[in-house]
Amino acid sequence: MLNPASGPFLFDTSAEGWFKRSDAAASKQWLDSYLRHHPMHIASMTVFERVRGYAVLWRSATPDRKAWIEAARIAYLQDPGHVWPVDTGIAVIAGEISAMLPHPPTTVKRTHRMTESRQERLARWRVDIVIAATSLASGMLLLHNNAADFEAIRGAVEREPLRFPKLGPLQLMRCASAIS
Amino acid sequence: MSAQRQVRTTISLPAASLKEAKHLARARNVNLSTVVGEALSVSLQNQRTRERTSSILDSYRRAFAGFSEDELMLLDGIVPEEPTRSRKKK
Repeated sequence: MLNPASGPFLFDTSAEGWFKRSDAAASKQWLDSYLRHHPMHIASMTVFERVRGYAVLWRSATPDRKAWIEAARIAYLQDPGHVWPVDTGIAVIAGEISAMLPHPPTTVKRTHRMTESRQERLARWRVDIVIAATSLASGMLLLHNNAADFEAIRGAVEREPLRFPKLGPLQLMRCASAIS
Repeated sequence: MSAQRQVRTTISLPAASLKEAKHLARARNVNLSTVVGEALSVSLQNQRTRERTSSILDSYRRAFAGFSEDELMLLDGIVPEEPTRSRKKK
């Protein structure tokens, strides 16, 4: 188990959602303990992804539901924690990773009736790269729920350490491993 | 804490707690007011942390409750489209 007090940690978008939505006692307890010691650290790209999601839902919702979605969006933005901006350093690291790994290592996401487009998949991959770059720049362990993508980035950083002076390794941990 | 303004007051304390505080004050060679003041400060800080944590967790619940799996996927940054709509675009 990852000691919540030993943070702070950076939460990937998937990890932030996993902890905030989980009904499991262990994850609730872990998050409660974490928040007593540290704010939730997230990359600004996580706010971008989340708010885009609320906005897409809002645009296709009925008037009644629009108000409810807006209330959920406001609740999300009420206390997002410590949001890391994309500064020059993070942009440089992300650019290096993006050049090494131009294509997403995993395929598009599908549900029973919906499919992510290739363009969307590429956009999401680039967001993940910026989140990993934020983790590297801040030196914080990245909690995630997306092993395939982030492990690919960790491997790339380890293969070419000279492109990432004084940085790394990318510290990763899956949400489920953090609480068990 | 020593820089803060001190005020005198009269309060009732549980006898056992007072005894323990006096014992601690003697052991640390400080006065009883220091020990009680520190304990009160820590307790109030913990209370504020608990309230803040509870408020944050409550806003998390309101931010994500009631969405379907597909909608939660969207909120996680995954934007799927219906295949038929994609074909129409072409």
